[in-house]
Amino acid sequence: MSKSIDSILYSYAQIFFSNRKWFGAIAMFSTFIVPQIGIMGLGGVMLSNLLAYLLKFDKDKIEAGYYGFNGLLFGASAAYFFEITPFLIFIIILFIIICFFMSAALEHLLANLFNLPGLSLPFIITLYIFFVFTTNYNTIFFKGLNFEDYQFLSFIPDFIKIYLKSFSLILFQSSLISGFILAVAVLLFSRVHFVNSVLAFTFNYFFVNLIFPEVSTDLLILTSFNSILTAFALGGSLVIVSRKSIFLIILSSLMIIVFAGFFSKLLVNYLLPVLVLPFNFVVLSTIYSLKFRKDQTDMVLLYFKPGSPEENYYYHDNRKNRFAKFKFVFPELPIFGEWKISQGVDGKITHKESWKHAWDFVITEGGKEYKTDGMQVEDYYCFDTPVVSPMDGEVARVIDNVDDNKIGEINHKQNWGNTIIIDHGEGLFSSLSHLKLNSIKFDKGDSVKKGEIIAHCGNSGRSPQPHLHFQFQLTDKLGDKTFEFPISHFLEKDDSKFVLKSFDYPEENTFVRNIETHKALKKAFDFQLGDEFIVEYNFNGEEKSEKWEVDVDMLNNVFIQTDNDAKVFLYPREKVFYLTHFIGNKKSALYYFYLSALSVPLGYLDNLEWQDKYPISTTVNSFVKYLSELTLMFAPSLKSYADFKFEKRINGSKSFIIKNHLVNEGRGLYKLFGEEGNGEVEINFDGEIKSFSFKKKNSNITAKIKIKED
Amino acid sequence: MDKKIYERPLIIKQQSGLMNKFGSSTINAPVTEIDRVPVKDIVEKFGSPVFAFSERKIRNNQREMFRIFKTRYPKVQFAWSYKTNYMNAICSIFHQEGSWAEVVSEFEYEKARQLGVEGEHIIFNGPAKTAAGLERAIKERAKIHIDHFDELYLLIELTEKLNLTADVAIRVNMDVGIYPKWDRFGFNYENGEADQALKRIVLNDKLNLIGLHTHIGTYIMSTEPYKIAATKLVVLANKLKENHNITLDYIDMGGGLPSKNTLKGQYLEAEQILPSYEQYAEAITSPFFNLTMPPNEFPTLIIESGRALIDDAGFLISSVIANKRLSDGRRAVIIDAGVNLMFTSFWFKHRVAPGQNAGSFTENSSLYGPLCMNIDCIREEIVLPALKKGELVVIMNVGSYSVTQWMQFISMRPNIVLVTEEEEAVLIRANENLEYLTSLEVVPEKLKTFTLH
Repeated sequence: MSKSIDSILYSYAQIFFSNRKWFGAIAMFSTFIVPQIGIMGLGGVMLSNLLAYLLKFDKDKIEAGYYGFNGLLFGASAAYFFEITPFLIFIIILFIIICFFMSAALEHLLANLFNLPGLSLPFIITLYIFFVFTTNYNTIFFKGLNFEDYQFLSFIPDFIKIYLKSFSLILFQSSLISGFILAVAVLLFSRVHFVNSVLAFTFNYFFVNLIFPEVSTDLLILTSFNSILTAFALGGSLVIVSRKSIFLIILSSLMIIVFAGFFSKLLVNYLLPVLVLPFNFVVLSTIYSLKFRKDQTDMVLLYFKPGSPEENYYYHDNRKNRFAKFKFVFPELPIFGEWKISQGVDGKITHKESWKHAWDFVITEGGKEYKTDGMQVEDYYCFDTPVVSPMDGEVARVIDNVDDNKIGEINHKQNWGNTIIIDHGEGLFSSLSHLKLNSIKFDKGDSVKKGEIIAHCGNSGRSPQPHLHFQFQLTDKLGDKTFEFPISHFLEKDDSKFVLKSFDYPEENTFVRNIETHKALKKAFDFQLGDEFIVEYNFNGEEKSEKWEVDVDMLNNVFIQTDNDAKVFLYPREKVFYLTHFIGNKKSALYYFYLSALSVPLGYLDNLEWQDKYPISTTVNSFVKYLSELTLMFAPSLKSYADFKFEKRINGSKSFIIKNHLVNEGRGLYKLFGEEGNGEVEINFDGEIKSFSFKKKNSNITAKIKIKED
Repeated sequence: MDKKIYERPLIIKQQSGLMNKFGSSTINAPVTEIDRVPVKDIVEKFGSPVFAFSERKIRNNQREMFRIFKTRYPKVQFAWSYKTNYMNAICSIFHQEGSWAEVVSEFEYEKARQLGVEGEHIIFNGPAKTAAGLERAIKERAKIHIDHFDELYLLIELTEKLNLTADVAIRVNMDVGIYPKWDRFGFNYENGEADQALKRIVLNDKLNLIGLHTHIGTYIMSTEPYKIAATKLVVLANKLKENHNITLDYIDMGGGLPSKNTLKGQYLEAEQILPSYEQYAEAITSPFFNLTMPPNEFPTLIIESGRALIDDAGFLISSVIANKRLSDGRRAVIIDAGVNLMFTSFWFKHRVAPGQNAGSFTENSSLYGPLCMNIDCIREEIVLPALKKGELVVIMNVGSYSVTQWMQFISMRPNIVLVTEEEEAVLIRANENLEYLTSLEVVPEKLKTFTLH
């Protein structure tokens, strides 16, 4: 029962690209200001959803309101345009059924052919058929409802009245009050939507008067509500909101005016109303064309399950900040132990122009690269040390017969010296040069594994002293242009501490090493499907307990779910463990676990530090956040991040402790707003996460985790 | 200007040999300071004789050795061999550098625990573990390296009794082409004992097989034996993977890397004939790449190097008690440190240098300790400049085994100091006194009085 009510409410919300039940409830309520429209609309939703249930369509989609909203629009519009008679109701029911099939068919067609949403196209088509069909009768009367302006509201400027009317007409309401209720609901649901609607309306008002100086109010309202709906779609619901959203909104307003002008002239002969046709046309064509851009890094199309524009933004921003650099392959440093980058990207000596994305590696001790006087290649610490494959691959080229130079001499004829080039698939090759004579252990065509020794460091080619040259490139050509590609995970030594770098480029004169995983950490964060945990915790003095279970969804996303409506998604990698995003109950222990273990390198070193960012939607929950969302389009005003480190393990400690310092920070006016928190996760030697705690203003949690044995 | 050194007159036989461009001086340059702390000051403050350890040298040795292994193999762990030098301060330096503890007795085990080393970071070796010791090690999850079948049976019994799982490895001995074969420790590889032991462990669900261990000997002067040993352990590890799907946590290659000390039988200086540590590391690590598992599952390589890391960080500063001439005309120098403090001088030709600036005239001498025993000879033959009573000599490369094998014999053990990185000499073990020595003695009542005439 509650699910069928959900499906009704979500159908109302869908029209405004909302995923909130309460929004649907308000929208439904607003339709009943003119009761007959409200009843017909509700009837349309219920019939459509009933049909979908009976015909066994996807229950999740029914509940989300995908099948209901076209029926709703049809029911409401029929009541808006026609005198309701019992006979007409019969015809309308028939058409709601037609509308349902139309939406099921169109949704599938557009999704599969063009990967586009169906929007309200099914409703428009059905309505046109209905309009033409009703001309067969002379008993069905077309009536235009008079818009209820209300005398007592006459103090409102016309400009705002038109804005509110546009809102009410989205749901075929003929009352200013409905428009007002809807506008407030939109503001509560999404500041981005609200700002978009104001912008779209204003631009439209300006452009319509510019393009059609003698504009009629009808055309103004028509273009207004089309522009507003379009701004909802392109300014946050189907395209992630950004500064460029303004550009899209201006552009689409202009297009709406043109198409509204076009369709009203075209359809007037057939006595058909234009309604939301321009909106459908402009949104679908804009989105479809945006898909074919070569660079999709701005005006990003929604690539995940939609939420509010803010939720979409935060989700995408989090992905972009934390994982955008992530590639499909995970190269590591081609060395064992700690090496110094003697020449980095864009180096002074040889890493220039087309060959700038390369690294030279040496080993130093006490600031020197060699022992004794450094006159022999053997004096150099790096000479004859192993060089390993940065990734799995197939050996594409081997040059192994160049003599090692004496110190200070250079072999210009064979610039690259002994070199091995490895094909890693996906068009990516790595090239390692100046290797020791006869040290390459593989032949062309052999396959190599990540971390497998492929050769030894030498001094061949253009190399005055022993070092390793490493670059990515796009062919197996010797000495080809370098290709900019990052190292997946590595540690950079910074005085006495180490900093975790992810998908980054080692910098000149830094000391770098690969992460050496620790058995206990690796085991602790190895969440397997079906694992269950009992978490006993004390939250602000109250003893509680919750159950965690590791599960996987249709898209193969692994997550931990609690029995109190919280969920966190996992992204476990070989060297680093990530929690990608959290949804649900923020009073759960899982929420605080998410805060304290956002990312964890799976190897321990004294003073290993790292930083990561949270989407502010998961860390900030207050009026300030709501306020900040009014200007989200222009620039995010808040940010949320944490500094993490392993607590130095001193003798007697039986565990690894991850310390976390969370900071919520504002810009400009929001500087006043700031919040900090401290978390801690404890992992024991047996590889179990034993406990965690988190303290911030008004919340204090300490939790113990027990693995549930079957 | 410094005052010129007074050199006592020497009568030196005129020798005419072939001329060479190297000169003839084999005398060690004077060692007047340790990490810029004058040895004179150390003696003034802490008396003579006195052991001095250089913290800087220890750390550098450890870091260098670790770097050498770590740039040749992805996962390396060092374990400090307690028996080499178990002074708390020294062990702590190694633990600060990340080393685990490698112990061979309950006493050493307890010492490591007392220092704060967790059981998980203790490797429990040795042929004589007691039931009580094993029980503690099981409970504290130490890594127990089983030496023989009787120990294995005892361990099985104990784990049953305690209803606990033990983390174990076996020590394997093998023919690596050197003499002596250290086949008294561990299970033999060639005769199949090792296989048998592994099978028994694998079949027992209370024993968790986590590693393999070998220790082929000490002061191994060539790299080949290590290569053979590593190859054989890798064969065992591959078999375990193939037959039982066990991926080991580690392979412990033991220690035995030589220090820069020269053995008595050696003619040339150790530094000139020994392979470099890089060559040893290469020999040890290269067979590991024949492991059949993917590189990210490779077991950790554990190195229990002892003497190579500490020998040259230890100095024994001693004073000349007397000079005398022996019956054959040789010069003899008697100093206040003898074999009681340097057991190692029975097999090593420790380097000895004057502790103050010395003249260039030298004399072939014998260096004796203070004990009233004929065997108390530090060097039968050594070229020394003329030394006066009270002057200092510094005996070098005494960092390993000296302060663990020293004897309280005839005299008491002296102070041990650490010259810190901050260039300050601090006491790390006080000299013994009569009270300390007699505190454990019990005199029966009837022996408490006596009358002497």
